[in-house]
Amino acid sequence: MAYQVWTVKHRPRTLAEVVGNEEAKAKLLSWAKAWKEGCVPEKKAAFLYGPPGTGKTVAVQALANDLGFELIETNASDFRTAEQIERLVGPAASAGSLFGKPRMILFDELDGITGTADTGGLSAIMKLIDRARCPIVLIANNPWDPRFRPLREKCLMIEFKRVGVRDIMKVLQRICEREGIVAERQALAFLAKRAGGDVRSAIMDLQAAAEGKKRLTYQDVAWLGARDRKKEIFRVLGNVFHAETCARALSATKEADVDLDMLFEWIYENVPRAYKSPEEVAKAMDALSRADLFRGRIIRTQDWGLGRYVSTFMTAGVAMAKRSKPGFVRFSFPERIRYLARGRSERELQNAIARAIKRRCHTSAKEAKEKIMPYLRFIFQNNPRMAAGLAKWLDLDEEAIRYLAADARKAREILALMREGSA
Amino acid sequence: MSVMMWTEKYRPRSLDEMVNQEEIVARLKGFVKAKNVPHCLFAGPPGTGKTTAALCLAHDLYGPSYHDYIMELNASDERGINVIRETVKTFARSMAIGEVPFKLLILDEADNMTADAQQALRRIMERYTETCRFILIANYSARIIEPIQSRCAPFRFTYLKPEDIAARLRYIAEQENVKLLDSGVKAILDVSGGDLRKAINTLQAAASLGKPVDEDVVYAVVGHANPARVAEMVQTALEGDFMKAREILRDLIWRYGVAGTDLIRQIHGQIFRIDIPDKWKIRIAEVVGEIDFRLVMGANEEVQLSALLAHLAEFGELMKRA
Repeated sequence: MAYQVWTVKHRPRTLAEVVGNEEAKAKLLSWAKAWKEGCVPEKKAAFLYGPPGTGKTVAVQALANDLGFELIETNASDFRTAEQIERLVGPAASAGSLFGKPRMILFDELDGITGTADTGGLSAIMKLIDRARCPIVLIANNPWDPRFRPLREKCLMIEFKRVGVRDIMKVLQRICEREGIVAERQALAFLAKRAGGDVRSAIMDLQAAAEGKKRLTYQDVAWLGARDRKKEIFRVLGNVFHAETCARALSATKEADVDLDMLFEWIYENVPRAYKSPEEVAKAMDALSRADLFRGRIIRTQDWGLGRYVSTFMTAGVAMAKRSKPGFVRFSFPERIRYLARGRSERELQNAIARAIKRRCHTSAKEAKEKIMPYLRFIFQNNPRMAAGLAKWLDLDEEAIRYLAADARKAREILALMREGSA
Repeated sequence: MSVMMWTEKYRPRSLDEMVNQEEIVARLKGFVKAKNVPHCLFAGPPGTGKTTAALCLAHDLYGPSYHDYIMELNASDERGINVIRETVKTFARSMAIGEVPFKLLILDEADNMTADAQQALRRIMERYTETCRFILIANYSARIIEPIQSRCAPFRFTYLKPEDIAARLRYIAEQENVKLLDSGVKAILDVSGGDLRKAINTLQAAASLGKPVDEDVVYAVVGHANPARVAEMVQTALEGDFMKAREILRDLIWRYGVAGTDLIRQIHGQIFRIDIPDKWKIRIAEVVGEIDFRLVMGANEEVQLSALLAHLAEFGELMKRA
């Protein structure tokens, strides 16, 4: 089957399928129903407005489908001068619907109407509304643009708001079901939250992360968070690795709006990709090691002024390590960040176990993890009986036991022994 | 008898049960007798009885329900200034009840406290001396700021003698019906240095295999706790493949959760086992030492150890040319 964008493939067919904005949908529906039933409402046009991806266009399309209107659409990709508008939708607006389907006219993406290329476009729409004998819908992101003022007075204003996370998750879940993908709730929640109320961008992200998969996990989507700033980071990295002077390398960080810790990770990841000779790599890594030394001092002393040494070593220090300018470098995403994202739930589990040990063993969670957990793991993997006793003593839950035993069958054995012991 | 970690099961309850650090124990007993304790700083390597001594002191001072009179805080987990200003201050200023007129605050791993927090602590120690005495526990006393050190009676804990650790291991093995062979004892002493906690944990893990504990069993535990890929990593780096060596490092740190300080100790040991000219071994050792220091002072273990691997790759290259 041909490649299809999911926002099109899975667009809602009926208004009921459009998520969120219940109030706006109800208002739109009763306005259109009036038309349908032959009584022309007071306002002949409806003006739908709100942020991108909140369902304005799909609501109109679904509505037309529900009520049996033929939808005549223009958007920013069409020329919309007075003349063009007249030619495109003029006849449709004035003709009655004695024959065939009733019509509905949609002017989408009105923000995109320009003063010069679309001369007279807006006033043409005004005139059209005055003589229209069929419903007209206008859509724009920002209706408060002064150009739209005369239009606003003629229109029923309907606001579409950002869609809530739960509603976006519903959409994503439905698409996953249709595509035969089993998705972790956590992954969908991440996508939904990230979208900031924009359903379309959530669906685009879902397709990017999930297409062709049977299962969608949190790790599959975590990288999206870093995607947005990637381009910017590539530019900065290029400047750092290619810099001939300290000043040039340092300025790379100031020009860019990139978090220093994040930039550190990118530089650290890509040193061996940018530099080829072991001497250069060793020198550059030494500079990073020194930068990290100052990060440690900052943490200990809370003296943030030391940050200037961190940026000096991580940029100028790395730049000065080279003997010849690197050629084209294919930068890659910091593995460490990926590890961190992948290991998140595992680390949370480790922390929970460490806290359990801490309660019992007069030690810090940190020490528990480093100095006691390795032995615990060994015991859980080798001696179910001792493990069962320790699990009870530490009050570990099933998940923790499964983690320490690293084997489902052994974990079951331990759990069975625990139940037997308490019976 | 219920199963628990043997380090806790066999942790001495009272100062009388402590068989090590004799001088320190004697002084602490003096405090109990006088029913007065100064602010104390217990410093010394891990597994030498610092926390145990503090708990025993509390036990002997207040009796079996000593938990009501003390607060145990761990500075590694709660090291910010807010904990000091809120939790510690609230505890320190409330009156003690009972025949001992003060409470004890045991601040473990105090060397992990931020400088700010230490500054805040200093006034609290002074102001509430009447109602609360502090026992600060640290691996490195140098990381405790001067003004606090000067307010504390210093106690320096030293590594336990091998024969004392061996005796303790044998005692525990007997109680737990574990057959502990001489070669097993020797191996445990080898891997644990003078760290009694590590020794007991190793014994318990070894015993979990259900076989007589000999050298092989002990090394099986150690090998598991510290996967033997360190040698491979060092070799890969020396052959000049920094990227691959870094992959192995990440695996060790992220998948197996091996601590950076353990890794660098093993790398140090590894250097003297590999087949390279001895003058290079010393040059490498110098870098290892430097990185070890940075590891303690820096923020990120992986970055520091990677820097070490990059140096090894450089050395490998230089050796090839020589």
